Amino acid sequence: MEKQEELLLKVDNIDVFHGSFQALWGVSLSVKKGEIVALIGANSSGKSTLLDAVSGIIHPAKGSIRFEGKDIATRNPFQIVASGISQVPEGRRLFPSMSVLDNLIIGSYNGRARLNKNGNLQRVYELFPILAERKSQLAKTLSGGEQQMLAIGRCLMADPKLMLLDEMSLGLAPIVINEIYKVLREIRKRGITILFVEQNVRRSLEEADRAYIMKTGRVVLSGEVAELREEEEVKKAYFGI
Amino acid sequence: MKLTLPRLSRGLIIAVVLIVVLALLPVIGAPKSWLLYIFLFFLYLAMANMWNLLAGYSGLISLCQAAFIGLAGYTLAITTWLGYPFYVGILGGAIVCGIFALLISYPVFRLAGIYFAIGTLVVPEALRMVFFLWRPVGGELHGGGAGYMVKGVTAISMSEIYWFALIIGIGSVILMRMILRSKLGLGLAAIRDNTDTAASSGVDVFRIKLNVFIIGAVVTGLAGAIFYVYQGYIEPISAYNIRWTMTMILATVIGGLRTIEGPIIGTIIAVFLHFLLARYAGISLLVQGVILVMVMLLVPQGIVGYTRETRIYRKLSQLFSWRRGNSP
Amino acid sequence: MIEYLADLTTPISMGILLGGLYAVIALGLSLVFGVMKLINVAHGDLVILGSYLAYAILTILGMDPIIGLVIGVPVLFVLGFGIQKYLLNRAFHVSMEAPLIIAFGLSIIIQNLVQLIWSPLSRGLTTSYSLASIGAGPLHLPLIYVIDFAVALLVMLILSQFMKRTYLGKAINASSQDSRAAQLMGINTERMYAFAFAISMAITAIAGVFLGLTFPFTPQSGVSFLVIAFGVVILGGLGSILGTFVGGIILGLAQTLSAYYFGAATQMLAVYVIVFIILAVRPQGIFGR
Repeated sequence: MEKQEELLLKVDNIDVFHGSFQALWGVSLSVKKGEIVALIGANSSGKSTLLDAVSGIIHPAKGSIRFEGKDIATRNPFQIVASGISQVPEGRRLFPSMSVLDNLIIGSYNGRARLNKNGNLQRVYELFPILAERKSQLAKTLSGGEQQMLAIGRCLMADPKLMLLDEMSLGLAPIVINEIYKVLREIRKRGITILFVEQNVRRSLEEADRAYIMKTGRVVLSGEVAELREEEEVKKAYFGI
Repeated sequence: MKLTLPRLSRGLIIAVVLIVVLALLPVIGAPKSWLLYIFLFFLYLAMANMWNLLAGYSGLISLCQAAFIGLAGYTLAITTWLGYPFYVGILGGAIVCGIFALLISYPVFRLAGIYFAIGTLVVPEALRMVFFLWRPVGGELHGGGAGYMVKGVTAISMSEIYWFALIIGIGSVILMRMILRSKLGLGLAAIRDNTDTAASSGVDVFRIKLNVFIIGAVVTGLAGAIFYVYQGYIEPISAYNIRWTMTMILATVIGGLRTIEGPIIGTIIAVFLHFLLARYAGISLLVQGVILVMVMLLVPQGIVGYTRETRIYRKLSQLFSWRRGNSP
Repeated sequence: MIEYLADLTTPISMGILLGGLYAVIALGLSLVFGVMKLINVAHGDLVILGSYLAYAILTILGMDPIIGLVIGVPVLFVLGFGIQKYLLNRAFHVSMEAPLIIAFGLSIIIQNLVQLIWSPLSRGLTTSYSLASIGAGPLHLPLIYVIDFAVALLVMLILSQFMKRTYLGKAINASSQDSRAAQLMGINTERMYAFAFAISMAITAIAGVFLGLTFPFTPQSGVSFLVIAFGVVILGGLGSILGTFVGGIILGLAQTLSAYYFGAATQMLAVYVIVFIILAVRPQGIFGR
């Protein structure tokens, strides 16, 4: 059993509804400090809903979500960002008419991050030199890969302890995806914990320490990546999904 | 639109009896004040129903309904000056409203829902100005401000006017039922649900909105014209006044948007308020405004919507379907 | 009385200067719509409320209206914050049409409240400079028009810099572009809407003062200025401060030229006509996307 103090995030048996439709059924998940955890599943398996619940966009009808020991299930999204959880949303959702620099700056909106704004900005430029080059350009003029980098950079500007990434490889070329995973490993080295959502089973298992596999709103498998690779379901998934 | 005969439910029988009683009131010598009250009720009911159709069912928050009241009234007055009997004037008013609605629909519909409201707000104002400056018939100004007498109204009895109002009022309710069950009603539901999906499924969104807008204009115009037959005198400030708009919005909202019974109940309250506040002309609109805001915040679904959500509705409908105390 | 020269330079210059005032009047409406997608039908009445507030400050405290802005701006700022937070914000959660209906109710309330307190009589903010005229060559223009224009430029400059450079301005901008993404950035979007409305009201307070200095006003004047503001916003396209400015100038010119050729009574009519033409021909406005 994991020691309570080491758990950064603990989602405990949550039910989440979209209106009258139940999207998550008794889902539990935990993330230790310094880990990279993958959340894998097909479309409408509930993985994005789970991230949204952690980010406070939607609230669970049942169960609890604890971050650093504190209950965050009922907090507003902006409060959760202030607590130290930041999300790179699906589809990136950049502010199209704002410049690259402005997008990054707005990422540091919360009080804690504002103090470290310049330091964080430098670090983002180190990770993604292309953003420094294009800092005055409007976000909508960037290529898909550059936009994803900007989205991640923006997320980092919020000075997070836990970073959530929702389907960041969507629509990106494999080379670009490799680049981004390299950056994620860098980010982990700097002490930020990562929870990412993916459809691609193989790639996720290569990058993560642990993984959860979801199907129609439930967690069907979880564990260390090495163990998961041996599971029949997962082997099927290599050929299936 | 197909006419489906309503089943002879208990509620319908009660309604028919009620209508017959109301229709007979002038004949059996009911007091004038009652007649006036009910007369106004039926006119406002027609207007409220139309506003419900536009704003509640079609998403068109029209703030220009007063324009049709004024236009129909002026058409009535002008036709009487030209020597025609008043019912020609009423009919003419309806036609003018329909045409006007058609004309302004093109620029005004270009505005997405939110712009639409201001666009429509402008129309009665502009018309007020036009009719202030324009003297289509007759030479002298009567009592200042481009007003007109409606000629020949003294020959018409209060009963006749009363029955006209009754017809338009009841007619508007029947019209609402018919529309909502027709193809038009189906199209409206689709548009309300998701305009883009509706459009890509072949629903002619513009056509439907236009039809609804014109219907709303014509019926409101008819009510307005009948009002001015009663009033006998029309001038721009009151004809195109925002009070008309306020009353019909209040009636619909208090009763319950998007319900058939809503405007009926709401109009009863609105007319009651109208008479209550008539003595305090200065604050009448102010009070109505405050009531509107509070209802919208606290009970936005209106009285009918609220009772539907609570057990009251179930108890009431049980009451009406069980004759002798068969309590559950 | 101010003398008008019998040629066109006067109506044209006056139209342009007037356009500045109209731009400021419209700026609040444009801001609110750009951020919250709400057409505030009470906007004109709020401008007039600003005028009446300045009138009260002038008559009761004897303070010059422009100086009185020190009181007027904070008062309307706070009022705006409250209106958005407690009325409109709730309305957004109720239904699509609720905010509009509530704005309508608000409009009626303001009109009648103002009428109750200050009577339907026409009022004006008269000061030592509100009737003065300024000469430049053969041109004689009312001084207040020139001041209006200068103030308009100043307000637009300050607003655009605020939106571009401050955290709050950027956050409001972000909230209007993508509300959910803004929330994920740690922005309290509901509070941003309240601020946007409050800022709009502050600008409206300024508009009200200069309107009162330029024209007489009654409790019913709100509708005319709502139409003008709406026309400016339609002409100039949404979300563009520059567009609002150009739109204001076009409408200002329309009014002065129509008064020059057809008489003063047709001024508002000219505005209505232009609004309808633009709607029929190019609804997204000149600068619109």
